[in-house]
Amino acid sequence: MEKMKLKLLYSDLKADIDIIEKELEIALNSSSQLINDASLHLLQAGGKRIRPVFVLISAKFGQYNIDQVKNIAVPLELIHSASLVHDDVIDDSDLRRGRHTVKAQWNNRVAMYTGDFIFARALEYVTSIENPRVHQILAKTMVEICNGEVIQIEDKFRSNQNIKDYFRRIKRKTALLIESSCELGAVVSGLDDKNVRHLKQFGYFVGMSYQIVDDILDFTATDKELGKPAGSDLLQGNITLPILLLKDHPTISKFIELAANGEVTEQQRLEMLSIVRKSDAIKQSINVSNHYLRKALKEVDALPNHPMKKKLRDIALFIGKRKF
Amino acid sequence: MDATYIQESIEQLKTNIFMHVRHRTLLQYTGEPVLDENQLFYLLMPFLNGEKWNEQIHKSAITVGIVHASLSEHDKIDETNATSKEQQLTVLSGDYYSGRYYEILAQAGNIPLIKQLSEGIAVRCEHQIKVYEVNSLTLDNWYESISVVKTELIKRFYQVYGFEQYSTFMHTSLLLIQLQKELRNLQHGNKSLILEKMVESAAKEGQPLELLLQQKIDVLNDLLHEYLRSSTIKDELKLYIEQQISS
Repeated sequence: MEKMKLKLLYSDLKADIDIIEKELEIALNSSSQLINDASLHLLQAGGKRIRPVFVLISAKFGQYNIDQVKNIAVPLELIHSASLVHDDVIDDSDLRRGRHTVKAQWNNRVAMYTGDFIFARALEYVTSIENPRVHQILAKTMVEICNGEVIQIEDKFRSNQNIKDYFRRIKRKTALLIESSCELGAVVSGLDDKNVRHLKQFGYFVGMSYQIVDDILDFTATDKELGKPAGSDLLQGNITLPILLLKDHPTISKFIELAANGEVTEQQRLEMLSIVRKSDAIKQSINVSNHYLRKALKEVDALPNHPMKKKLRDIALFIGKRKF
Repeated sequence: MDATYIQESIEQLKTNIFMHVRHRTLLQYTGEPVLDENQLFYLLMPFLNGEKWNEQIHKSAITVGIVHASLSEHDKIDETNATSKEQQLTVLSGDYYSGRYYEILAQAGNIPLIKQLSEGIAVRCEHQIKVYEVNSLTLDNWYESISVVKTELIKRFYQVYGFEQYSTFMHTSLLLIQLQKELRNLQHGNKSLILEKMVESAAKEGQPLELLLQQKIDVLNDLLHEYLRSSTIKDELKLYIEQQISS
C-alpha cells in the first residue's frame, strides 16, 4: 500500500523509472542460469527504488538527460541490491519483503557470488561515465558503507553504546547511499557546486530520517507488514534508537541479554514489543526523525525555484511519515 | 636478477597490497588477506622481464591483487552457516577490499581498468557459481572454469597495459598448478564441490578422474615446456616457472 502511494508520488517520473527498471534487468543478464534466477528473484521482490528516484529528481535541477542519468541511477540501485544479498548472509535472514532471500533459496555461497556479480555489474555499468569525481564519490561511499557494517557487527548487543554511536552507524548504513544518490544525480547533470551541496545534504538528512523510521517500524509494524518477525533488529543484536532510549528499562536490558544468548521465547518477544510500543521511546524517536526531516526541507528551500522542489518535499515527508 | 630477487618482488607486492587494505577490526577477526604467490608472480612478470613499468602500472597490479583477495574472502563463507562473528566479518572484508580496489583506481582516474576488472569479476563469478548449478559439464568445461577463476583478472590487467604476450604462459602455468593441487586433493581424499563435479564428469567419460587429471597435467606440462623452450623471456623467469610447476 505504502509502496503504491510512493509510486503515485513519482508518477510523472514513471517513464524514466521504467527505463531504469529495464536497464536493471539488462545489467543483471548473465550467461549463468543460476545468477539469472537469483538476480531475477531479487528484482521481482521489488523495492521502493528510492535511490534511483533521488538520482532522477536531483538531476532534474541540472541539464537532465536520462541517457546520462541512468548511468548512475542503475549502478546505485545495483549496489544497494548487492549489499542486501550479502547482508542477508550476515544476518542469517531467510525472508526479505516477504520472500525468500537468495541465501535461503539457494545457499550462502550462491548469495556471495550473486552479490559479487551484481557489484561487478554496477561498476561495469558506471564506467560509461568518465568523470573521475563520480567514481571517487561512489567508491568512497562503498567503502564507508562497509565500514558502517563492520561497526554494526562490533556494536551488536553492546549495551554501553550511546546515541552518537547509533547515528554514526545509520549514517553509513543508509544515509550515505541516499546522500550519494542526490549528489551524483546533481553532478552528472552538471549542477553547480553550491546546489550539489544542498542536494547532498538533503539526501543525508532524508537518509537519516528514513533509517530512524525503519528502526521504529521494526517495532511498530506487524510481522505481516514487515515480512519478518517484528523486533528482528533487536533479536539480531542491532540496538536501534527506540531501544537506546529505553535501555535502562529492566525488562529491555534483560531482553538484550537473552537475545545475545539466543534464548528469547516468542512470549518474551511479544512482551518486549508491547513495552516498546507503549513507551515514549517511539514518540521520541519520531521527534528525532522529524528533526532530520526539517533539516532536509531547509536544504530544499535553499535550492533554486524548480517544479522538482515540491517533489523533493513530498517524498521526504512521505518517507518520514510512512506507516509502513 | 635471481630467484631471491623475484621472491622479494613478490613479497614487496604482497606488503603493498596489505597496506592498502589494512583495517583494524577486519585484521583482528579475519586476518591478513589471502594472496596466491603464483598469481602475484604473473602480475609482476612483465616488470621482471624488463617491460616498461611505472607507478600507475604498479598500483594497478596492487588493485588486481586486492580483487583476488576480495573474492578469496567470499570463498571462505560456509554454505549453510555464516553466523559467527568471524564469518560475518569475512563477508564484509571481501566487500571492503572490493570497495578499496575501486577507490584506489577511482582516485587514479583509471576508468579503463575499473571496466576491465569489473567485467572480469562478473565472468569469474559466472564460472565460480557453476558448481551449484544443475548441469552436465564435461571435464574440459571444468578446466575452463578453473582457468577463468585463476587467470581472468590477470588477463584483463595484461589487456589494459599491452602485456598480452605473457597470457599464454600465465594461463597454462596457473591452470597446471591448480590441477596439480586438485590431483593431490583427490589422492589425499580431500573433498570439494569442484572435485565431486569433476568426478561425475570423468565417470561420464568412462575413466577415473585421477587418470584424466594426470593426462591433462602431462599435456599442460609438455605445452609449458615447449613455450619455455621457444620463448625469449629471461632465463631466470623460465627457471622460476619451472620451479613453480615442479614444487
